[in-house]
Amino acid sequence: MAIEFSKLILNYPYFISVIIFSLGCLCILTQHNLLKKVMGINIMQSGIFLFYIAVGNIKGGIAPIYDPSLPEATLYINPLTSTLILTGIVVGFSVTAFALALIVKLYNFYGTIHAPDIIRMRSLG
Amino acid sequence: MYLWENMPFFLVIGSLIGAFGMAFFARWKREWCPYLTILSVAFSFVLSCILAYRVAGGEIVHYYAGGWRPPWGIEMMIDELGSMMLVLLSGSFLLIAIYCVKAIPREIPPSVSGWYYTCFLLTLSAMMGMVATNDFFNIFVMVEVTGIGACALVAAKGEKLSTEAALRYLILSSTGAAFLLFAIAFAYQLTGNLNMTYVAAELAKIKDQYPVIVWVMISFFTIGLGLKAALFPLHLWLPDAHSSAPSPSSAVLSGLVVKVYIVTIMRVYFMVFGFDIFTGTHMRTLILIMASMAILFGSFFAFAQVNLKRRLAYSTVAQIGYIFLGFGLGTVWGITAAMLHIIIHAFMKVCLFLSAGAIYYQTGKKKVTQLTGLGYQMPVTMVAFTIASLSMIGIPLFGGFISKYGIALGSLEAGNPYFIALIVLSGLLNAAYYLPIIWQAYFVSGPKIQLKMDAIPFSMLLPIIVTAAGVIYMGIFPGGALTFLGKVVTRFLL
Repeated sequence: MAIEFSKLILNYPYFISVIIFSLGCLCILTQHNLLKKVMGINIMQSGIFLFYIAVGNIKGGIAPIYDPSLPEATLYINPLTSTLILTGIVVGFSVTAFALALIVKLYNFYGTIHAPDIIRMRSLG
Repeated sequence: MYLWENMPFFLVIGSLIGAFGMAFFARWKREWCPYLTILSVAFSFVLSCILAYRVAGGEIVHYYAGGWRPPWGIEMMIDELGSMMLVLLSGSFLLIAIYCVKAIPREIPPSVSGWYYTCFLLTLSAMMGMVATNDFFNIFVMVEVTGIGACALVAAKGEKLSTEAALRYLILSSTGAAFLLFAIAFAYQLTGNLNMTYVAAELAKIKDQYPVIVWVMISFFTIGLGLKAALFPLHLWLPDAHSSAPSPSSAVLSGLVVKVYIVTIMRVYFMVFGFDIFTGTHMRTLILIMASMAILFGSFFAFAQVNLKRRLAYSTVAQIGYIFLGFGLGTVWGITAAMLHIIIHAFMKVCLFLSAGAIYYQTGKKKVTQLTGLGYQMPVTMVAFTIASLSMIGIPLFGGFISKYGIALGSLEAGNPYFIALIVLSGLLNAAYYLPIIWQAYFVSGPKIQLKMDAIPFSMLLPIIVTAAGVIYMGIFPGGALTFLGKVVTRFLL
């Protein structure tokens, strides 16, 4: 168990990103305010983005641009994960925009963005 | 020649261009949109049929985006399962697009009807991309685009109920996509690849070294794609979204969208992880339990619904349980029957939802208790509805019988005969909630009985007739589809 714990300390970026992911998940599940639910999705995605960046990073690595004056053994970080995350951010942005548009529409219908109130109003008629 | 080599690319990009074209025509010539949509979908259908013909000739179609070979480039791979799904998707979309011409002006406000076709084609394009691609990150992007397109199809109606259902669908489906993205991060970290073939090869070498990460990965894939595919405890968004959407959207969502995620999860389980990890992590047991619960509770909930479309939506929950049960059994017959049920259920559900839309179009009735004597007012629609319902129950000569029989054979093969009792019980429950509708339509009549022809346009009648014919065809001649799918199943269980 002691070895496992030291691994956790050494790989703290992964640990932190998993915590952020879980917080976002908790936010979606427990918050009643619809805006906060959407924020929860964003927090969750931020956790994943951090995880991807941490996967691609190397300690002491430099930007992956080839320079002949540098020695052969220079470490370059992995650019692929950052590129993937660029796509991920765009996707997350479009989901957020769409969700906010729907929330505005719901607010016009019901006058509230508190989820239990909306459900109560709907069941009344 | 150029088209021949790059066919998978044109398949996906063709309807994507169509989608953006519709956004342009929505401002300029709104009345052209339905016909241009039909043209665009027909183009995809022709290409899918050519691809399926190539695959049937024994070739597995590979396409490398930009000529970059894997593991670096993006690969599209179309095997038997993929080509079957492509033909099914584009064919059903073609029928639904024909139905849309007359149905859409009735169901959604004219100001958004052009945009509706944008979302329609966007969903088709993303779904075809999802079944054709062999790259994990592409799958994530296509999953998100399908999710957004499908939510827009629900929200298009602009009513209170459909807006709320669309928001719930959007929140849950992007949560599922987040889990999927995390699972892909684990796959990349563990194997250094995003191409599914290479991930599978690496995973086979190192799976004993990292048992915990493999376990977390497969659970995240299950949660993410299970949420999207509405596997039983994760189905909460489905009934509202499918019942409050316009009828063509309900047919698309219920018949096709959830199936695409099931195909993806099947490929993840059997082609990436392999049968050993699938069983070894007890994921197979979990899938079997969840699928059994889906079959039972889905049917019970459907029984309690009064709204016709809600009843059909809950029936979808139960039928998804059948598909998961089939491949969860993990035997040759089980997986083949699950794939066959994907096709047959698509035919049945599209037929049922389009009929429900037609009933609403002619009579304005939404509740199952109001359908008295409808068999004489809308004979063609009700005959198609009856065929699809009998197939749902699993009467021989109809498609549903073949797949249920196959799943029963699969459960015998797996040494688990209890599932046969489950299938029989669920068949009885299906009968309990479908037969009263049919009984009312034919045998309970008003003061005078007069046989009339349906008063709906022929363009709405045609898709209903074709899908009902498809159900009967699959029930009488399932041999071709079974041998076609058998090849991919043997590769799955290698």
